[in-house]
Amino acid sequence: MSDGDRLWEVFARRKRADHFEHIGCVEAPNSDLGRVYAWQTYDEAKWFEMIVVPRDAFHPVNRPEQPFTLHPSAEALT
Amino acid sequence: MAEEGKYSKAADLPEELREHLGALILVLADNKRLLGMRYSDWILGAPALEAGIACSAMAQDEWGHGRIFYAMLRDFGQDPNQLEHRRESPEYRSIELLDGPADGWTDLLALNLLLDSALSVQCEAMAESRFEPVHYKVSKLLDEERFHFEHSRGWVARLGSTESGREAMRRAFAPAWEVCVRWFGPDDDEVARALCDGGLTDKDAAGLRARWLERVAPVVESVGLGLAEADGGAWRSRVAPAWDEWDSDVRRGREGGPDADTLVRVRGDKNRSLLMD
Repeated sequence: MSDGDRLWEVFARRKRADHFEHIGCVEAPNSDLGRVYAWQTYDEAKWFEMIVVPRDAFHPVNRPEQPFTLHPSAEALT
Repeated sequence: MAEEGKYSKAADLPEELREHLGALILVLADNKRLLGMRYSDWILGAPALEAGIACSAMAQDEWGHGRIFYAMLRDFGQDPNQLEHRRESPEYRSIELLDGPADGWTDLLALNLLLDSALSVQCEAMAESRFEPVHYKVSKLLDEERFHFEHSRGWVARLGSTESGREAMRRAFAPAWEVCVRWFGPDDDEVARALCDGGLTDKDAAGLRARWLERVAPVVESVGLGLAEADGGAWRSRVAPAWDEWDSDVRRGREGGPDADTLVRVRGDKNRSLLMD
């Protein structure tokens, strides 16, 4: 991940009636690129709707340690 | 049966319009085929893995669009197989910028923002075309193009955040700008005027260029590349197109065409023995 890049979590649903599912994440410096990368990377379905959320907008609920939740490499530790 | 005032096949078009539209479709096909190749050159080696994936997706989109346009020309009495695989360099209608490879990432980005948007503006002008085969194909194509534009806008913002990035973009964008601003033809271009008057497009050359400027100028000027300026409510190019070498029929300068390596690749010469149809 280069300087200035953020992690964007990708959520999508196949049909209007579905709930969003978390399908992955991409690294990008801004929302334009986050959206494009998400759409082009996770193209395995004909999504009805896809959204991206910057991971640093997440609020931890049961684990108070923000860095653990938000640090990109944290997944490797879990 | 076509709706009133619509054309369901090329044979229904008045002869002059049929020629103009066929020529325009070939211009779009050639540009999209070659632009797809330039994107594909960067699938490996893009500055980020995601950008490589984006190039792969954009290459596929462009090739798909090229395929659609070549296939459409069958109805105009042309042989798509011959067009795709058997033409010489001067017969291509692609823009000068695609004659050789995009050497750097900023060169590719210039194609991504300036040229890809120019092609989209031209396609958009055909979204409500009275020629139904074009009308039906263009809207899906434009859905895909939206992401190409956002990819370029995202990268311009990214590189525009440093002086060295802005300088690299200034060097790459200036030559591309000059060629793209000319690509729509002179304001009084008769072919573009005839297509518009015939209801096959919705803007003449001046209108198309204005629409392109409206799209790309805010992006390049958001990082101060000095290529356009706001003039009242509209954007104006700071570079005047050079018309002396311009050829309206091929939508490029009179001389030249894809270079030898490009031609071999775009025609698929290496696969010639495998061609089935």
